[in-house]
Amino acid sequence: MRQGARKAAVAITSIAAVAALTLAGCTSSTDPDDNNSPGPDDTGGQITDAQREEALNTPTELTFWTWVPDVQDQVDMFEKQYPEIHVTVENVGQGLDHYSKVRTASKAGTGGPDVVQLEYQFISSFAQTGELLDLTPYGAADLADQYVPWVWKQVLSNDQVLAIPQDSGPMGNLYREDIMNAAGVTEPPATWADYKTAAEKVRANTSSYISNMAPSQGAGWLGLLWQAGVKPFGYDGGQNVTIDVNSPEAKKVMAYWQDMIQNDLVSIDPDFNDEWYQGLNQGKYAGWLTAAWAPVFLSGAAKDTSGLWRAAPLPQWDTSKPASGNQGGSADAVLKTTKNPIAAYELAKWINNAHDPALLFTTQQNFFPTAIAVLEDPVFVDQESDFYGGQQVNKLFAEISTTVDTDWQWLPFMEFAYSSFNETFGAAVAAKGDLAAGLDAWQDALVDYAKQQGFTVNG
Amino acid sequence: MVTAQLNPVTAPPSKPSKSDKRRKAVNRGKRRSNLLTLVMWLSVLYFILPLIWLFMSATKDNSDLFTTFGLWFGHDFNLFANIRDVFAYQDGIYARWALNTGIYAGVAALGATTLATMAGYAFAKYKFPGDKLLFAITLGAIMIPLTALAIPTYLLFSSAHLTNTPWAVILPSLVSPFGVFLMRVYAADAVPDSLMQAARVDGAGEYRIFWTVSLRLLAPGMVTVMLFTFVATWNNYFLPLIMLNSGKLLPLTVGLAQQQATSTAGGGAQALFSTVIAGAFLSIIPLVIVFLYLQRFWQTGLATGGVKG
Amino acid sequence: MTSAIQRKQHLVAYGFILPFFAVFATMFIAPLAYSGYLSFFAHKLVGGAKFVGFENYVRAFQDPAFLFGLGRTALILLVQVPIMLGLALFFALALDSGRARGSKAVRLLIFLPFAVPGVVAVLMWGYLYGRDFGLTGQITRALGLPPTDFLSDQLILFSIMNIVTWAFVGYNMIILYAALKSIPSELHEAAEIDGASQWRLAWSVKIPMIRPAIFLTIIFSVIGSFQIFNEPKLLVEIAPTAIPQGFTPNFYAFNVAFVNQDINYAAAIAFLLGFVIMIVSYVVQLSMQKREVRW
Repeated sequence: MRQGARKAAVAITSIAAVAALTLAGCTSSTDPDDNNSPGPDDTGGQITDAQREEALNTPTELTFWTWVPDVQDQVDMFEKQYPEIHVTVENVGQGLDHYSKVRTASKAGTGGPDVVQLEYQFISSFAQTGELLDLTPYGAADLADQYVPWVWKQVLSNDQVLAIPQDSGPMGNLYREDIMNAAGVTEPPATWADYKTAAEKVRANTSSYISNMAPSQGAGWLGLLWQAGVKPFGYDGGQNVTIDVNSPEAKKVMAYWQDMIQNDLVSIDPDFNDEWYQGLNQGKYAGWLTAAWAPVFLSGAAKDTSGLWRAAPLPQWDTSKPASGNQGGSADAVLKTTKNPIAAYELAKWINNAHDPALLFTTQQNFFPTAIAVLEDPVFVDQESDFYGGQQVNKLFAEISTTVDTDWQWLPFMEFAYSSFNETFGAAVAAKGDLAAGLDAWQDALVDYAKQQGFTVNG
Repeated sequence: MVTAQLNPVTAPPSKPSKSDKRRKAVNRGKRRSNLLTLVMWLSVLYFILPLIWLFMSATKDNSDLFTTFGLWFGHDFNLFANIRDVFAYQDGIYARWALNTGIYAGVAALGATTLATMAGYAFAKYKFPGDKLLFAITLGAIMIPLTALAIPTYLLFSSAHLTNTPWAVILPSLVSPFGVFLMRVYAADAVPDSLMQAARVDGAGEYRIFWTVSLRLLAPGMVTVMLFTFVATWNNYFLPLIMLNSGKLLPLTVGLAQQQATSTAGGGAQALFSTVIAGAFLSIIPLVIVFLYLQRFWQTGLATGGVKG
Repeated sequence: MTSAIQRKQHLVAYGFILPFFAVFATMFIAPLAYSGYLSFFAHKLVGGAKFVGFENYVRAFQDPAFLFGLGRTALILLVQVPIMLGLALFFALALDSGRARGSKAVRLLIFLPFAVPGVVAVLMWGYLYGRDFGLTGQITRALGLPPTDFLSDQLILFSIMNIVTWAFVGYNMIILYAALKSIPSELHEAAEIDGASQWRLAWSVKIPMIRPAIFLTIIFSVIGSFQIFNEPKLLVEIAPTAIPQGFTPNFYAFNVAFVNQDINYAAAIAFLLGFVIMIVSYVVQLSMQKREVRW
């Protein structure tokens, strides 16, 4: 207790000191913006094998922030491989909560993780604020040809490798075969026009919806734009952004969905809440346009419907050029504030790149792999899933993965982008309103914010 | 700020007076109203049905949770299985959260009560230069909600590198301007000047008087302040949410909210609904017990604030 | 008393208040001062920080998100607070009249929600509000009514008001009840002998007697209304499009700081919010005093 009291006293006095400094006006703390300062070991040169050996054989403590369940298993494998290194796994929240924690810890300079999970869509955002360590000097560039090209492109920024891919989410169509059959739909719809016809049959002949289009599922909606070849965002890694979410091409895709929504052919419930899980279990939704991580996830979330589901590619705009988009998927990055960059890099790399832990991600954590070696591993590809009536779902999504466009980019402020998405486009979906106007409103909000933050905006 | 209204009056706060007993006798003789009884008990339903739902749901597994009627048991009685899940989640981190909550709330309550008692006592029993101004500042501070202070406090702690420590949650909770106000009102009546004067004549120093004479008389008021700072810290969500990162430091509120959010994590999502509900149910039991057990104190303590306020 | 003794007593008194004010200065004044300081700067993602004077405040007054948040708070003040305090007062008077059976149990059961942490209350109501599978959904279906979406953008504010009412009626009731109990019983016994009805007794004897307690509950409710944060923060997970960033000013400050990464603007909003609360509290106080004169 005495120790504690002293700590408290220290805390109070140091806060008083900060306050005093602030009030005296002699502080630089509003500008802790040493963004572009080099990382601790950023000497510009490559890390040698000797340095790596030394780092991996020195007792080291690492902290790893991730919300991947049971990732401790992969970490245990890593610790067994490198017994000198001890890793603390922390879950500080998911999604925006996670990212705001990473930012604040990184700004404070202490208490943050060494290795951090980032979805692909947020890598530019953290690169922009200079929080990510360039992994090239540690050998990351050599991994390039081990990964699916469009995934690898997602972790690059200005020739820097900023993260090691973990999983990805090329999109497909999961559906309930029994409900489709009851509705008189015997083949998975090949085109979006077919999909609408099927949706009408499902509505007419069953009590289900062909799918649920969650208003706030920004990543899913963007995935559908991605499939259609729309390029809403661009970022040059510096201060130039391109914002074009209300392009005619985007509006064309959304006009299709506005028609579907206003004719009550799809439901528009928020997803991943209790009601939505029930909707999946009880057949309210006869299908789900979703990512490759979903098949295994669904088999756990809707256990009661095992055997009834099937998987197919997304319906197409142009069947001569099959395409898909991506929804979600994560990578592991190293923060510049780390004191042990080599060990941190090895952790991020090993659990995702070494074959055994990477394969375990696919069987245990629902993850759809990004490494070509795993995508081609018969253990993964030939797996037959009882939940999908014995279908080789992984093989299907592995094929879909090759049809994802490689040129998609993100804005460097996706936290704001998604939150304003919900208020503009998402609200329009929820209100069964004018989706084109929703895109316009989103465009305006993004442009305003970008300008406010000092970016140069290209329409 | 609010001195005009919050002027203490002279009647003692809540002495079990003779008139009270007489009134009880009068009440006993009174006619009961069936209509009023009905209205009151119907109203009670509004307040307890959600809690009954919480209990019933804590006994169900995920599928019963959504398929069976909310105010009755499901097909299976899963309460104990759920409780096991609660304590098994992430190697029993729930117990850690509960312990943290108890420690934060306990330390904050003790500390805040000590500070508030000393200050309130001084305001009530001593005249000193600046006392009016300082008390007015304290009253003004009551008006500023703690959550409006949370972000400024976070900014300050962050620049002092003190976030993600227990102190980041405890230290801001030590300030209870309302506690000072309450203790001033309470001390004004509970500690007679004559008693202090007598002790002085006996040669006791001021601190000794406080320690040996006044403190005992202040005890009921202190329990009230302690109880309410305890509850405020126990229930606090905003401050620990922004101050703490490490899962091992979280209190129950943030931990439960985070656990609830695991269902929304996309690819890594886990639908832990029954576990979250059972955890939520368990988390309210300690406070309910504390309130039932300490009824006498908070009811009279609140009377101090309300009557004298 | 000699002045030496007096001076000694002053020192003693300062000794008593010093610990509180030391913590008060560091945990209350310093954060306010610091955020006041920060609010005069702007920090951009591109270009860094610079001094901008009152620009953040000007921006806040033109920011629809912030103003709508204040508007929602005003609605809560005008709708939810009177309902909550009206119920609390009614229950307190009813219990005090001693005419209902099982008063003691009623009192405890109405108070019980106060012992439920706000986070748990919101999580729980989130499940209850479920349109298809929640308790409200089950009940409306059983009654043959169309399903009502309490989490839609039209109803969410009222759903949140309901949560706050549920949680705090009992607390306010206890404050008022305790005040009622301390009214010397001779006063209303006399009135009752005169044959005054319970309603009259309540209106012209009891309520005027507990005005300080009523004032206290109003002030606490005003402050509480401006604090609303847990409800939007937790419900936004299950009702993402119904709750915008600026749903309440406090929630907005959080989002501006942690989602939009605009710490300086968040500081300005937090500071401004403190001012608004002071002003509203002051207005409430003035209007209470005025009414006192009239009575």
